[in-house]
Amino acid sequence: MAQLFTQTASNAFRVLIVLSLLASAGAVLLGYVWARSDAVWNVGKPAPQPVPFRHDLHTGSLGIDCRYCHTNVERAADAGMPSAQTCMSCHSQVWTGASILEPVRSSLVLGQPISWASVHRLPDFAYFNHAAHVTRGVACETCHGRVDQMTRTVKTQTMSMGWCLECHRDPAPHLRPREEVFTMGYEPHRESLPDDVRAFYSEARQRLTSCNTCHR
Amino acid sequence: MAGRAQILTSPVADVPLARSFGWAWWIALLTSGALVLLLGYTLVTVTILGVGVWGVNIPFVWGFDLINYAWWIGIANGASLFAASLVLRRHDLRTAVNRFAEGVAFFAVICAGIFPIFHLGRPWLFYWVFPYPATFQVWPQFRSTLTWDFWAISTHAIVTSLLWYVGLIPDLATLRDRARNRNVKRIYGVFALGWRGSIRHWAYHQRAYRLVAILVLPLILIMQSTVAFEFAVTLVPDWHETRQPLHFVATGLAQGLSIVLLVAVLLRWALRLERFIDEGDVDLLGRLVLASALVSGYLYLDEIAAAVLADPLTRQATFARMTGDYAGFYWAAIVYSVLIPQLFWLRVARQSTIAGIFVGLSIGIGVWLDRFSIIIGGLQTDHLPSIWRSYTPTLPEWGLFLGTIGLFASLILLFIRFLPVVSMFETRHDEHLEKSG
Repeated sequence: MAQLFTQTASNAFRVLIVLSLLASAGAVLLGYVWARSDAVWNVGKPAPQPVPFRHDLHTGSLGIDCRYCHTNVERAADAGMPSAQTCMSCHSQVWTGASILEPVRSSLVLGQPISWASVHRLPDFAYFNHAAHVTRGVACETCHGRVDQMTRTVKTQTMSMGWCLECHRDPAPHLRPREEVFTMGYEPHRESLPDDVRAFYSEARQRLTSCNTCHR
Repeated sequence: MAGRAQILTSPVADVPLARSFGWAWWIALLTSGALVLLLGYTLVTVTILGVGVWGVNIPFVWGFDLINYAWWIGIANGASLFAASLVLRRHDLRTAVNRFAEGVAFFAVICAGIFPIFHLGRPWLFYWVFPYPATFQVWPQFRSTLTWDFWAISTHAIVTSLLWYVGLIPDLATLRDRARNRNVKRIYGVFALGWRGSIRHWAYHQRAYRLVAILVLPLILIMQSTVAFEFAVTLVPDWHETRQPLHFVATGLAQGLSIVLLVAVLLRWALRLERFIDEGDVDLLGRLVLASALVSGYLYLDEIAAAVLADPLTRQATFARMTGDYAGFYWAAIVYSVLIPQLFWLRVARQSTIAGIFVGLSIGIGVWLDRFSIIIGGLQTDHLPSIWRSYTPTLPEWGLFLGTIGLFASLILLFIRFLPVVSMFETRHDEHLEKSG
């Protein structure tokens, strides 16, 4: 009786088995890398905005404080976006005829807020409070990066749960003295944080990594 | 010798190789296929609309989903425990029943697995219970019964499918050699993995088969206990008992054996395999079913004794289950799974097809009622009187249950159509021993 499978077919079958094992291992590896890639988390990807606002110009060159526009950042969960009045406090004097500022002017006239596109939107099941972080020494720069150098606002961190936990598990190295929270390009040095603060945060670890701290 | 071996097992091999299989098989497949469609429909419904379409609500967070999960996993455990012990003991009965006992176990695991995944509410995230390096950097909660389910079912699926497939390899080679159509030959040939029947092959095969069978034994006891622990680790008075694993293992074994018996008598009758599954085999299976039913009976007595000796809260909860709104389920479970099998004290009943079907179904129903009684009746008297209410399964839950029965039946029907239902190589081995001995 003739052989049912030729030698080539048998060899191909063996190769196929090995290849499929390698392929599944590769798929797992690929999944691991892909899930951590910036593209998945929209890092570095600007959102289409109604007005081409430039942080580098306003914060970097002109040196306007973060809190001038994000007024609630020290008091509320939401940092807050500037109303048209805030923008117009300067822009009623400068760039008054600029067409790119048309949405700001019409917002003022119509009393409709400008619909900024959020770059850092967290899922609804994650509770985040700006005030809780900012008033305890977590700087703007730590999460939002060098906003003062951004022509178009982008995410610099993944904002994944793992990224949150990296800090929540050991906050002390990421904290700054309160007066440095709004500084950009701050160089940390060990002496800047008192020992009792360090001791406090190493004990707070348990509380900070409890599920219901962020999932309420 | 080869000629004789061929004649011996050709009725078994002829079945999968036959060109057509008759209208009865088609009608059965269409009926069960319709139920599989129902299963698909209910699964899509629950995925889109959520578990709100089920009748579950506090305190009955586990309704039909866990009842049927516990029921199917019981069949899987009982059947594979039985199959593995036959392989290990090299018992004569294995030639007759092992193949489909393993099949029954594997198909039941598939049916069981559906429930825990879909009762998550977000079934597409089921892989979260697997400890993989996730971007959210937390491990699954290993103290949660949900992760235990994952390990129980996945291990079970791997081991039972291995046991089934390893046993099938030599027979797949026989089918490959005996098939006339070249494409059919090739299909069986691929799955036979180049089996040539050399001494080396047989030596490896025996080792592999027995190794997997040994794996099954501790595994099954652990898996069935895991299902029981899901109830025992809670604070519900009626569930929080150390006897729970024993109850689940024993009733699960009775249930697995009864379903194996049911399939055995049905196959024997439908495929005229009296020669391979002889009266002695069915008789022995009947005795095993009877013995396991007696053990179940003992455990029901133990439950009453344990309740009498327990603290007042547990006693009250257990007696509430026996006398409360769902008492009917409890007593019916005893009648179906302990009293009716007593019929098997009679030799005539053990060897009768009708009685085999009757008792097989009866224990299956009885254990289902028992799971219902534990999961629903057990919650009736929880700590908080304000949440004492009743549970009624909704139509989608019934659809899901009937759907898995349809899936199980379809898999069995496809199995008897395309694979040898009786182990041919074991039969040849036995006949050879008889001749030489």
